[in-house]
Amino acid sequence: MKPTGILFFPAFDWAISPTHPEREERLLYTRDQIFEEGIMDLPQIKEYKPGLASLKDIARVHFCVPDVEAQITEAHLVSAGSALVMADAVMKAEVKNGFAIIRPPGHHAMTVAHGNRGFCNINNEAIMVEYLRQKYGLKRIAIVDTDVHHGDGTQEIFYHDPDVLFISFHQDGRTLYPGSGFTEEAGGPLAYGTTINIPLLPRTTDTGIHYVLDHLVMPILDEFKPDIIVNSAGQDNHYSDPLANMAFSAQGYARLNETLAPDIAVLEGGYSVESALPYINMGIIMAMAGIDYSNLKEPDYNPSRLKEPGGNMERIYKIVDTQLKTFRNREEVIEKNRRSGELFKSSREHIFYDTDYINEDQRNELRLCPECGGFRVIISTAQHPNGKRYHIACVQLPIFACKSCQEQARDAYKTFNNSTYDMVYLQDRVKDQYKSIITRTGEERVL
Amino acid sequence: MLIGIDVGGTFTDGVLFNDGEIVTSVKKPTEEGNLKNSLLQVLDELMVKDDAANIKRIVLSTTLVTNLLATGRGEKTALVLLPGYGLPHDSYDITEDIYFLKGAVDFRGREIERPDNKEIDLLLDWIKSSGSNRIAVAAKFSNRNNVHEKLIKNRILEECDGVHVSISSEISAKLNFPRRAATTYYTAMTISPWNRFVDEIEAALNDRGIEAEVQVLKADGGTIPLQASRSKPCETVFSGPAASTMGGLALTLDDLNSVVVDVGGTTTDLSLIIAGEPLYASRGAVIDKKLTHVNSFAVSSIPLGGDSVITTKGVQPYRIGPAACFGGEKPTVTDAFNIHLNLNLGDVSKSEISMEEIAAHKKMDMGQLCSQIVADVTKRLFSAIKEMFLQWENEPAYKVWEVINQRKFTPDRVIGIGAAAPAMIPALAELMQVEYFIHTYSPVANALGASVVRPTLTVVLHADTQSKKYTLDPGGKTGELEKPKSYQLNHAKDMALQHLLTVGQELGMEDYTADCEFFLEEQFNMIRGWDRVGKLFEVGIQVAPGFIKEFKGVKI
Ligand SMILES: [Zn+2]
Ligand SMILES: [Zn+2]
Ligand SMILES: [Zn+2]
Repeated sequence: MKPTGILFFPAFDWAISPTHPEREERLLYTRDQIFEEGIMDLPQIKEYKPGLASLKDIARVHFCVPDVEAQITEAHLVSAGSALVMADAVMKAEVKNGFAIIRPPGHHAMTVAHGNRGFCNINNEAIMVEYLRQKYGLKRIAIVDTDVHHGDGTQEIFYHDPDVLFISFHQDGRTLYPGSGFTEEAGGPLAYGTTINIPLLPRTTDTGIHYVLDHLVMPILDEFKPDIIVNSAGQDNHYSDPLANMAFSAQGYARLNETLAPDIAVLEGGYSVESALPYINMGIIMAMAGIDYSNLKEPDYNPSRLKEPGGNMERIYKIVDTQLKTFRNREEVIEKNRRSGELFKSSREHIFYDTDYINEDQRNELRLCPECGGFRVIISTAQHPNGKRYHIACVQLPIFACKSCQEQARDAYKTFNNSTYDMVYLQDRVKDQYKSIITRTGEERVL
Repeated sequence: MLIGIDVGGTFTDGVLFNDGEIVTSVKKPTEEGNLKNSLLQVLDELMVKDDAANIKRIVLSTTLVTNLLATGRGEKTALVLLPGYGLPHDSYDITEDIYFLKGAVDFRGREIERPDNKEIDLLLDWIKSSGSNRIAVAAKFSNRNNVHEKLIKNRILEECDGVHVSISSEISAKLNFPRRAATTYYTAMTISPWNRFVDEIEAALNDRGIEAEVQVLKADGGTIPLQASRSKPCETVFSGPAASTMGGLALTLDDLNSVVVDVGGTTTDLSLIIAGEPLYASRGAVIDKKLTHVNSFAVSSIPLGGDSVITTKGVQPYRIGPAACFGGEKPTVTDAFNIHLNLNLGDVSKSEISMEEIAAHKKMDMGQLCSQIVADVTKRLFSAIKEMFLQWENEPAYKVWEVINQRKFTPDRVIGIGAAAPAMIPALAELMQVEYFIHTYSPVANALGASVVRPTLTVVLHADTQSKKYTLDPGGKTGELEKPKSYQLNHAKDMALQHLLTVGQELGMEDYTADCEFFLEEQFNMIRGWDRVGKLFEVGIQVAPGFIKEFKGVKI
């Protein structure tokens, strides 16, 4: 049996600010626990060294404003790069699966990056997914976001991609940041049904989450048949997490990973640094490595205190039903949208960056392509904390875009070059080439 | 006058060293069953050249503990574990019989489960009835709070006569419970045979009127007084390779990147010197296939040496005798190198006669055969060396700056150690495209290294200003912080330094404690809510491997 790959990168020299939840201390006790357990010495485990993502790996997913360097620190390159190291190890079959215990996190980072949202600048899982597609030719990928917060960044990035199944369960957006992730958010017109949200009421326990897993997540995964399953592994559903109100346990997390059997798990949130993280991380490692985890528990674990709130299970049964239908009807809905007669579908978005206090206005234009998922144009405006205001145009060409989308997208980039935008971008994943131009000077950069 | 003696697996080497020169050196086959004899024989031959009164310092390196553990001849020891919650009990495979007890402490040293008195009573009954008199006790996170280990030790000592108890918090304060448990177990197994050996050596030295200070070489390339080694027998494992590495360093004394290649009879030991500093095994010494907390150099042992026999089937991993050119009966790796590279070692014609036979058998030209063997051997060594570079470059890193400043090892030089080095090293260096260094003293560089290395000492402090507690290693000392609110990094560093000075004095190494340096300075703010409720410090200070003050390099 091949071992499980572990990449532990606690970034002990990086924090958003000294008292921020994303601070040096976050994985300190996790380090103490996993090192004291000696789990890295077991034959079932192989420890990996962190790596560095390239600017191109980031530009493959994000339109960073004004450029990649402005949106990241070295810590982000290591965190994203470490997810790629784990992905390589899994793809080269050095390990049977892998868990990247890394920070900073990424699942709130969206396609356009003006600043930090929900502790995230760049999206580690999305960067990994597009890397896997370029390097190993994977197509169908499932991301299951098990963080307590809605993975709105990952959702937005793959919202128009019918080959990426994004499933997120989280505490209901009416009670928690970022306030999204309702069942109606089910994917763009040509990728309907491959975004599945499961908002859960506060104080949902292992029972509720496992029902969702067994009766919704696993059946959908079986039907979708992804090439690879990624767990966007937040740990803030725990009963002791200070930023949320759920009632999941370390045993629950271990069982979740045993059932889900992700090929790659990537740490996201989780801020109960002493009472939860050391035990959850142990639980996930043990479950992924096939080690008996029945002797694992938090010191204060008391199952009798964790009871499903009244009526919650009935509510969960309904959501499961609804979402099974959403998923199973997806092809029908997509066909209908394709035949709507419209050439482009446009929408407007307002995005708030809580950490950096940025307000972004977006206009999205998706080509309702008869042959593929279409290409996308994003017009974005935002004022950065330094006072500078950016008005930009971004053209996004997915890796599996058809010939006519390719031509139209590349033409659109050329047309935008002679316009009033500050910056114009082309994300050409077909050619794996990422261009940006400062229109004032005409200076173009190609990654 | 300084004496260094390395009792190795095949040979025991000794040197009498004075003022930059080896006055005399001795090499004897090691008597496997009686290491003490081998050691004293070599000592006596060295002493012929000098008076007992002139000997200032003797450093011994021996495989005694390594052998005891490798051959399962350590004393029968019972292992008692308090693993608390986490991995299943069957993942602890240090020995077959493990006695598990309840009781748990967390990473902050808080008690999360009390030991069960009834269980302890049963343990005591079992100890009495089974007649076990060696007990090793290890509890998870005992390096943060050893209250449970101490409780069990005290109960055993109070109620069971003649039982010796080793507890893990006194052996090591490093994280990694299975390694701490293994180290404690191996310590308990070897402590009395090692003490008997120390007694015998002391008596023998007494008989000879030697009053010099006597030190024992450790796996970390430093020494410890013979007396102080009594409680830490495991520190003496793998001191042979450490002696060679330090010997290589003693002969060069610069800050190049070197590969030290110690070519023995049947094995070749590889170690790395990076910018003048020997590389440590990041995961500790491996004893009997188990990782331990014994600080040791990173050494890669290849079953291939100068005396490895050559048959029609190629190079064999065993030795029959010396190379044919040195009077042996069978052709060896040394003979093949001798012919191919015109090394003129010993009687070249004997090399040729012995190899000719093999070549005839294989219907090959002898020159061709030798060249093939040389190519194979050097390639095997080079790939083992590359594997070591790679391992070092791929060590995990936990800080951003460590990842940004990626490690890269480019060797500047190969240092050849051991009698067969002149045969094999030049060809290896040529393949690696680096220069090589072989010294007249290379054949006894291990003993030379032992004779001039200084003591080492590592102290680690863990302080928690919220719980107001600290622990100090070595010794598993714990206590309360006096002014936790105003406690800062400089206070932590000061406490660690004071402990180093105190322990240094106990070990009689005051001359070297001034050379100490901090190698670990960790501090974390503990934030609960948005407020700082305390700080955690981990500070490490050490006297690193080096040489005694009077050693200024070799003269020739
Ligand atoms: Zn989620
Ligand atoms: Zn979260
Ligand atoms: Zn198309």
